[in-house]
Amino acid sequence: MVDLLFYVAALLSVLCALGVVISENPVQSVLMLLGSFLGIAVIYLLAGFQFLAAIQVLVYGGAIMVLFLFVVMLLNLGDPEVQADEPLFHGRGRVTGGLGVALAALAVLLTASRGTALAPVETYLWPEGGLDPLLGMAEAMFGRYVLPFEAASVLLLATAVGVMALAKRQRTKRAIAPAPLESKEAAA
Amino acid sequence: MNPEILNELYAGAGAALAPLLWLAAGLSAVLIADVFAGLKAVRPVLVPLTLGGAAWSAGALISDPAGAVLGGSFLADARTGAFALVFLASAALAWAQARRYYTEEAPFLGEHDALLLTAPMGMILMAGAQDLILFFVGLELLSIPLYCLSAFRRARTESVEAGLRYFVLGAFGVALFLMGAALLYTLTGSVSLEGLAAAKELLASPMGATGLALLLASLFFKAGVAPFHLWVPDVYQGAPTPIASLMATGTKAAAFAFLLRLVPALPAEAGVGLGLVAVVTMAIGNLGALGQTDLKRLFAWSGVAHAGTLLLVIAGAVAAGGTDHQEAVRNAAFSATLLYVAAYAFSAGGALGLVAWMEADGEEYRSLSRWQGLGTVRPGVAAGMTLFALSLGGIPATGGFLGKWLAFSTAVRAELVPLAVLGALTSVVALGYYLRIVVDLWMRPRPEDAAAPSAERPLAAFAAGFSAAMVLALGVAPGLLLGRLIG
Repeated sequence: MVDLLFYVAALLSVLCALGVVISENPVQSVLMLLGSFLGIAVIYLLAGFQFLAAIQVLVYGGAIMVLFLFVVMLLNLGDPEVQADEPLFHGRGRVTGGLGVALAALAVLLTASRGTALAPVETYLWPEGGLDPLLGMAEAMFGRYVLPFEAASVLLLATAVGVMALAKRQRTKRAIAPAPLESKEAAA
Repeated sequence: MNPEILNELYAGAGAALAPLLWLAAGLSAVLIADVFAGLKAVRPVLVPLTLGGAAWSAGALISDPAGAVLGGSFLADARTGAFALVFLASAALAWAQARRYYTEEAPFLGEHDALLLTAPMGMILMAGAQDLILFFVGLELLSIPLYCLSAFRRARTESVEAGLRYFVLGAFGVALFLMGAALLYTLTGSVSLEGLAAAKELLASPMGATGLALLLASLFFKAGVAPFHLWVPDVYQGAPTPIASLMATGTKAAAFAFLLRLVPALPAEAGVGLGLVAVVTMAIGNLGALGQTDLKRLFAWSGVAHAGTLLLVIAGAVAAGGTDHQEAVRNAAFSATLLYVAAYAFSAGGALGLVAWMEADGEEYRSLSRWQGLGTVRPGVAAGMTLFALSLGGIPATGGFLGKWLAFSTAVRAELVPLAVLGALTSVVALGYYLRIVVDLWMRPRPEDAAAPSAERPLAAFAAGFSAAMVLALGVAPGLLLGRLIG
């Protein structure tokens, strides 16, 4: 049962991830992304990380998804038919990307078919506090991985600063100038 | 978990992370000072103060290494300290060049400086990272500020295009890294470099080889090694010149600092392959630079060639794995890489700094033809450019020569003699375009329509003079600067 659930969730997230890049309608892409996030949340749950699964649904499935929808709305991408004059995947890009994925899959299959034993389970990053999800995550986050965790906060700050620097371009001139009339008339 | 365990875990972390803490504090200070008009007076001193403090604490790491901290995820040894000094120097050069560089973007210098201080944090994390997770955060911390800074001249299409191109391709490179790291973790159950090196026989399987190849590909992308170099000339040309200088010197140094750490995990058989990639990169870079008339493009292509030379050092260190002179070659590889990136930081940083300085007199100073006969009107600038070009070309008595010499001798010691010879031959080709700059500066008449450049920029002049002094010092007396590190 657990196995079946895992395969369903894994297939869902992979197919939805493909849908994100293939779909030509941005809103569809965002919904596909939601499906992918939910599939991953199920996998977390099956692995015993209930807290992580809940966070995945709340933060990614909830908050981030709403932000994505806002961006799509603000950008006002309009009719996908008009936008699609230059497809995202050109012939050459399709071939190269497909080849890359095929090669990676081949490498995994080859390794599996040769019967190469993976590392013993104990070496994987099990949290020291066992599988108690909160304790284990807290130990990892404030223990060995405290530096990446803190650095990620600087990263978010830098990203916000960078976005502000690029997006706010009217501090010097035309800060309070009214919008030109022509565009309003054209819109009407 | 009780507090004692945390105490034990965090022991020594203060000294080890001091350069990062300086930078983080400086970043906050710059942002705060940018908000309050009353703090206007302190704005200009914040960045040099931060970089100085970080350099001082990085220097303390060289004399008194803190070792591995935080459960072994960050290694703050003398090597990390030494590389940190190089990163901070390239950030300082970029800062000095950027002071009077921007015109319509000048009100955004606060954000510019904040991003400029974030990039070296990422570089230091990359140099000291002992596991792939920390390295990944470092890589992003370096990349995202550079994406934004490349597009910083929002009013110009070329700058925005450079930023977008760098961002899209960079995101792709990072995805390669994540895919590779995921494969390696599945296989070995470890993301630490130690764990990867211990599971070497697993890495020889097709899955491990693919994982390592993806990891290397993303590093090659950042460093601008062929065949992942195609973005380099366009992005350097479009990005603001001080940022191009930081990308050329700092990013390259950080990528190779981590490659040095990765060497024990790479199988010795990969050495020859890496060496071939290195020689091909050198050839492509040098041939690409030959026909360039735009100085920024020229230095971009030459940067590709320099990345190839650095990769030859790594190839030597990898190829020597398992032999009885493994340790000796790896130590030589470290000295060669450190000296090379230091010399390159000051030569390329100095040269691009001069371009940024002259750009104040008009954008046309990006093209080499405008520099013809500059020796007659601006002898100081022309002399500086000559020194930097000679150092990049590897003429004796400059840091560039010593770096090249150490690099090729490392390859020879690792018994990659044919590759070292081929590499040295491509460096002769490189002299073609470096000497063309020198000839243009001194032996050509000044174009008649060209007005004499008039911009006086004391800070840029100081940065150029300091770079020139460092290039000479590294070439004549490297022991004085690096004696403690290079035996």
